[in-house]
Amino acid sequence: MKALSISPRLAIAAGLVALFVAIPLVYIFIRAFGADTESWQRLLQTRIWKLLGNTLLLVVAVTSGTLVTGVSMAWLTERTDLPGRKIFRWMLVMPLAIPAYIGGIVYLALLRPRGGYIPQVLENIFGQSVFTPSPLGFFGAAFILTLFTYPYVYLLSGAAFRSLHASLEEAARTFGRTTFQTLFQVTLPALRPGLAAGALLVALDILAEYGTVALLRYETFSSAIFVQLSGRYDRSAASVLSGILVTLAILILWSELRLQGQARFTQMESNWRPAPLTLLGKWRFPAFLLVMGVISASLIIPVAVLVVWSIQAFLDSQSLTTIFHTGSQGFGSYVWNSLWSSGLAALIAVLFSLPVALLAVRYPNRFSRFISRFCQVGYAIPGVVIALSLVLFVNRTLPFLYATPFVIVIAYVLRHMPQAIRASESALNQLSPSLEEASRTLGRTSLQTLFQVTLPLILPGLLAGGSLVFITSLKELPATLLLRPPGFDTLAVRVWVWAGEGFYLQAAPAALLLVLISALPLSFLLRREKIFR
Amino acid sequence: MVSKTKISIFLLVMMIGASACSAAPAVTEESATLAAPVTSVSTEAPVEAEVAGDLVIYSGRSEPLIQPVIDAFKAKYPNVEVLLKAGSNSELANALLEEQANPQADVFITTELFTVQSLAGQGIFQSYLPLGADQLPDEFLGADSMWTGLTRRARVIIYNKDLVSEDELPTSIFDLTDPKWKGQIAAAGSTNGSMQAQIAAMRQLLGEEETEAWLNGLIANEVTFFGGHTDVRKAVGAGEFKLGLVNHYYFHLQQAEGSNVGIIFPDQGEGQIGLLSNATAAAIVNSAPHTAAAQAFLDFLVSADGQKLFAEQNYEYPLLPGVALQADVQPLDGFRLADVNVVQAALDFDATFDLIEKVGLP
Repeated sequence: MKALSISPRLAIAAGLVALFVAIPLVYIFIRAFGADTESWQRLLQTRIWKLLGNTLLLVVAVTSGTLVTGVSMAWLTERTDLPGRKIFRWMLVMPLAIPAYIGGIVYLALLRPRGGYIPQVLENIFGQSVFTPSPLGFFGAAFILTLFTYPYVYLLSGAAFRSLHASLEEAARTFGRTTFQTLFQVTLPALRPGLAAGALLVALDILAEYGTVALLRYETFSSAIFVQLSGRYDRSAASVLSGILVTLAILILWSELRLQGQARFTQMESNWRPAPLTLLGKWRFPAFLLVMGVISASLIIPVAVLVVWSIQAFLDSQSLTTIFHTGSQGFGSYVWNSLWSSGLAALIAVLFSLPVALLAVRYPNRFSRFISRFCQVGYAIPGVVIALSLVLFVNRTLPFLYATPFVIVIAYVLRHMPQAIRASESALNQLSPSLEEASRTLGRTSLQTLFQVTLPLILPGLLAGGSLVFITSLKELPATLLLRPPGFDTLAVRVWVWAGEGFYLQAAPAALLLVLISALPLSFLLRREKIFR
Repeated sequence: MVSKTKISIFLLVMMIGASACSAAPAVTEESATLAAPVTSVSTEAPVEAEVAGDLVIYSGRSEPLIQPVIDAFKAKYPNVEVLLKAGSNSELANALLEEQANPQADVFITTELFTVQSLAGQGIFQSYLPLGADQLPDEFLGADSMWTGLTRRARVIIYNKDLVSEDELPTSIFDLTDPKWKGQIAAAGSTNGSMQAQIAAMRQLLGEEETEAWLNGLIANEVTFFGGHTDVRKAVGAGEFKLGLVNHYYFHLQQAEGSNVGIIFPDQGEGQIGLLSNATAAAIVNSAPHTAAAQAFLDFLVSADGQKLFAEQNYEYPLLPGVALQADVQPLDGFRLADVNVVQAALDFDATFDLIEKVGLP
């Protein structure tokens, strides 16, 4: 294939997208480094070091937790004769449909020291208070975040276990290694690039996480920014903290992108055959219990609690009235607001991703790669930071957009466009350029080719990207809370407000609906993958 | 083929990943129980149809605490569409400052006076004296009618009667720094308006150093700081903590839920600072898009009907003379009250925030 010169139209379109993405980033850095030295000094003397310690500790703990859980679950469901593993594969991924803050709400209600359902039941049975693990603080936050983020690592390592060349392990066995020696000395090291990338993704997730840590009273950078925003009449401290947080996240994102680049070259195409299953023998039952335990904690218990609460709410007329009518807003309007804002964000994100992906895939060079990487910076900008920069930016430059729901949509697009870009790039990568070349040879213009050949063929990939943006926008909270105009509520906002006031019954139907609406596109995405068919 | 699966799953995970399910904190100030269905107050009132259109309210009172009043208002003015944004006082104050050139809100409601006083000084509000507001005590009306007081509340200590015996009860907020309560106390954190106002008042009464020492004492005593007082009262009610520093009505709300809790009105002794109290207030935003509806709403808030709702449903002290207190609420006349100069405290509010930041109050 002869090298094509870059189409100027495409380059301009991609450049505009990159410019759009750059807004919050540049704005935050200007504000952060333009803040007076006094704010910096005050923060450096007091908060920053503790926040940094807290944040990094949580990131390390959750990342390790998800690695252990994800890899062990993947090994059990892919490499052993564990009974029920086909169903388990599905159930181990589904926690992705449950926002971690909803999981946090459920566990807080169940396990809150002395006040929770379980401590109270135990106290009634035994007549005295019995020790129960607390969901609050560092350990609680680490536990709950691990429960709802391990599926990233699980999906990745599951696929890696499946595709790993059997001969590697056979060789190790031939040279006298036991099953477990092989696992630790050969298999896991071979999976390392994928696992490291997964771990870094979890790390980015935890850096941006707000709801769960706020709920469980563990202070990190994201929560401190929110406290600053609602604590005093000046935004320089929040900007300073945001600047540091984004710098931290960009470092992580940078290593993730590097690893992602390397991971592409670790595939082994030829002579693949499935590795033989490890027979668990007498360990079958304990292993089964272990998997059941993980699934119960991350999927069955939260969903069951939400179902029970929802039923209770529907039986209680007072809760029911509030659910269906808070002020002038009805339940239908929350659902509709959630659907249209997330749907529109998905559509825009996919449209914006196209020029970037086309440029990066069809004209690979330094410039196009840079644009593509740069547009993925949204991963590294937590929702609270995007909201902060948009509030300031939109009010000053686009006042007619200020306090409209469209600002929320813009925030969703900025934050979640990386997903659309990766989906579009992967779809384009699988489409041979020869089809497009044939179309051009037959006299179609480049635009005609795009609409008549390329787009129809990559449509499933685009839908997948859109679904991802949709799911993640649906559960987005900090930006929605900060940017929503008066009277504009989404399901996520209602769950948060109601649960924040301790009205769990009222929050439950909205939370359950949120989980169900997320589960549908998620299963669509999983069905595209061979192992879930 | 299989390695393709791997690639595509890899990408899937990459794409799902980092789409953090991050969320925001419950920064709402004051919260209360689910308001009981609106009482008959509104149905007796004549329906007023002439005021129509939207009314945008920024409220530092949390949604459950303002919604019953809004519902009653809407029953009286069915043609007004109320759009509510509830948050912390300073978060909404930030928004108002940001929106000066592009005003969105009509009415601002706060849970303490320093924020409205401070914003009034920055020209955020327009002058309006609601109907009947001339009956309110002078100290609860802003200069040039820039803001109007609504209700009063006292800062008290709530305790769990199952866990604390009568003879060991604290009598002063300074007892909260006593190591014997280490890890047993809950309070609201630095984003809470009532807590900010308490610190501002203490700075004025006691000076910077003593207030700083008190805050450091609380932190050293491992006080747990929540986003709002609902968490505090529920935690004390459940026995998670022995003591809580709250506004007085949280005691009544928790008692109404059936908890065995008690209330202490602190610092009544000779040489102590007296009971700290504060007031909620409302103001109309300068060049508010819907001034007529905003004025009607403020009129309603200080009317006997509106004041009754605050007193009955949330156990607050109404400012309008002649409106009865809810049963069990002890009248403020019986206590020695700390005397705070609102105007001065508002001017010093920035120094209060600096202090909060300096001690690292969560």
